[in-house]
Amino acid sequence: MAKLGFLCDRSGDDAGPAAKRTAPDASRPPLAGRRVLRSRLWLLLPIGIVYGALAVVPLVLIVRFSLVGGLTQYREVLSSPLLAHIVENTVVISITTTVIAVLLGYLLAAALWRSGPRMRVLLLILVLLPFWTGVLVKNFAWAALLQDNGAINELLRIIGPSHEALPLLHNRLAVIIGMVHYVLPYAVFPIYTVMLSIDDRLERAAKSLGASAFSVAWLVIMPLTLPGVYAAGLLVFIISTGFFITPVILGGPSDMMVANLVDFYAHQLVDFNRAAALAVLIVMVISVLVFAYQRTPKEGQYGAV
Amino acid sequence: MENNNGLASRLASERINRRDFIRRSAAATLAVSALPALTTRRAFAAAKEVNFATYGGMINENTRKVFAEPFEKETGIKVNLGVNSSLALAKLQVASGGSAQWDIVNLTGAEYEVAVKENLLAPYDYKIVDPTHIAPEYRKPYGVKYSLFLFVMAWDRRKIPDDKAPRSWAEFWDTKRYPGKRSIYANVSDGDVLEIALLADGVPVDKLYPLDVERALKSLDRLGKRNIIWHTTNQEPIQQLISGEVALATAFNGRIVVADRGGAQIGYTPDYAGVSGNYLTVVRTSEHKHEAFEFLNYVLTNTKADVEYIKLTNYAMPNTQCLQYLPKSLVDTLPTSPTLKDKVFLKNDAWWAANLEKTTVRFKEWQMTP
Repeated sequence: MAKLGFLCDRSGDDAGPAAKRTAPDASRPPLAGRRVLRSRLWLLLPIGIVYGALAVVPLVLIVRFSLVGGLTQYREVLSSPLLAHIVENTVVISITTTVIAVLLGYLLAAALWRSGPRMRVLLLILVLLPFWTGVLVKNFAWAALLQDNGAINELLRIIGPSHEALPLLHNRLAVIIGMVHYVLPYAVFPIYTVMLSIDDRLERAAKSLGASAFSVAWLVIMPLTLPGVYAAGLLVFIISTGFFITPVILGGPSDMMVANLVDFYAHQLVDFNRAAALAVLIVMVISVLVFAYQRTPKEGQYGAV
Repeated sequence: MENNNGLASRLASERINRRDFIRRSAAATLAVSALPALTTRRAFAAAKEVNFATYGGMINENTRKVFAEPFEKETGIKVNLGVNSSLALAKLQVASGGSAQWDIVNLTGAEYEVAVKENLLAPYDYKIVDPTHIAPEYRKPYGVKYSLFLFVMAWDRRKIPDDKAPRSWAEFWDTKRYPGKRSIYANVSDGDVLEIALLADGVPVDKLYPLDVERALKSLDRLGKRNIIWHTTNQEPIQQLISGEVALATAFNGRIVVADRGGAQIGYTPDYAGVSGNYLTVVRTSEHKHEAFEFLNYVLTNTKADVEYIKLTNYAMPNTQCLQYLPKSLVDTLPTSPTLKDKVFLKNDAWWAANLEKTTVRFKEWQMTP
């Protein structure tokens, strides 16, 4: 859904300059300009086909799988004793991750915004390096740090009196740590973009009217960054609900999330129909969130309508 | 594919205008998106190949060395090995339509029963696979149980010397004697977690089935969820024992033997182990059934290869010719050894096939309550 929306946005962007570029060619009648536009839209056809083959067709297959026997698959999934627990897990873990990631992301974005050029590059590298690292690598690195004889517990053993290892791995704490690490860049960039669009004269104006540094931050800057916070929060929440491998590697069995339940149906119970029904339910819920995300204003000062 | 080649050659040979190019690249894209279907159906058939999904790690290494490579040399049929075989994989071969990507799949006992019920498998071609020396109790209409192994308790010898190691599951459960976590296989039908929980609770080996699932879960509660690390793949406990993450674990004996040969310090006992076996099956929608059964004939009846496989893995093979070539010390550690007769239990595939879903869901539910 998000990807298709993105596709539409881009087609709009591309059409604009394309039409403009043809404008200087005054000898052409306006109709020809529109024909150029239409023929250039053809350029999107390959990507449309790829998306069709890779996203729409499988989705249709999944819906078909889920409807074998009418709505019984849905009824069985919804009445499963596992579902309530899993939904609770997913919501609690995702909300916790979102709150922590947005808080940390806000601080990082502010640091990026206010730092000098050299510091900014360094900070950007620190944000982007984990962004470019595979999720498995990050998860296994955390597992190595958090396990009973891992780096953190070994360190505690050396400096502390405690001989019993702290339970850091295979629990909810570890899952949330791993997830926050993964989603942090997704929180930083929407907020950072919004901050960049804030006119710095506002700050000077507020100060000239006698506002304290705290008032400037709290009454002027903060409200202007809220659209970025909402966008970051929603984006991070959407990504968080879809986590699969992190609960497997860093969590225990009681930290299973919805994606893990799909896997449980498909792999352990080998019931593709119910797995499909659950997947369709997830897509429906997430689509609502994506729809809301598409409608959040992306810019602070000028974009907030 | 033809479309694609056509486009490439035209691009090379003649100038084409832009609109033409766009129209053709669209056609090429369509062709490319249909490619996977084409390659699985045509290219593989032409090249005389057989695709065998098994369990990864040392199983793949030894299967390649002992069976696949000599077979390739002898027949010219290429054997491709894959990992993570399961009932889900077998079902996917049939459910996805068209011909199967994997021709031979490994299934556990319970999975085999379900696969037969759901019509996923091809009947064994005993004209190609010579049944003469395959023990009859392993020969089934749709599969042959080809490797028998033990689900055992294992320990890190660096922390627990063999003479202080647990001798029963009740001792394995004893957190006072062995503090710290145990790594246990979370798959109830593949491994034997419920069976060992009942043994730890005092159920005799010959009275396990039908399983009292609730009693098993209570026994696991007694051990305590915080004392258990669940593993989901078979190489995990070996790595956890080697890295020192745990000192006690459940594992399959062959993995331990191979790890120890590589210098690991893992001890185990075959006492009170669960005996299970894997089936070699051919998927109903395979287009290489002939090649598949030829390879299976090699695996199941080539005595020299079978003896070597047993020596490497400590897994028993159904080929009755093998025993005479094996030293007694090895025979004694095989799941089929008479010395273990009353000390091990056989995984009851029929009970598991009948109760698979109910038990798996109930166990998951238990696992998820904190």
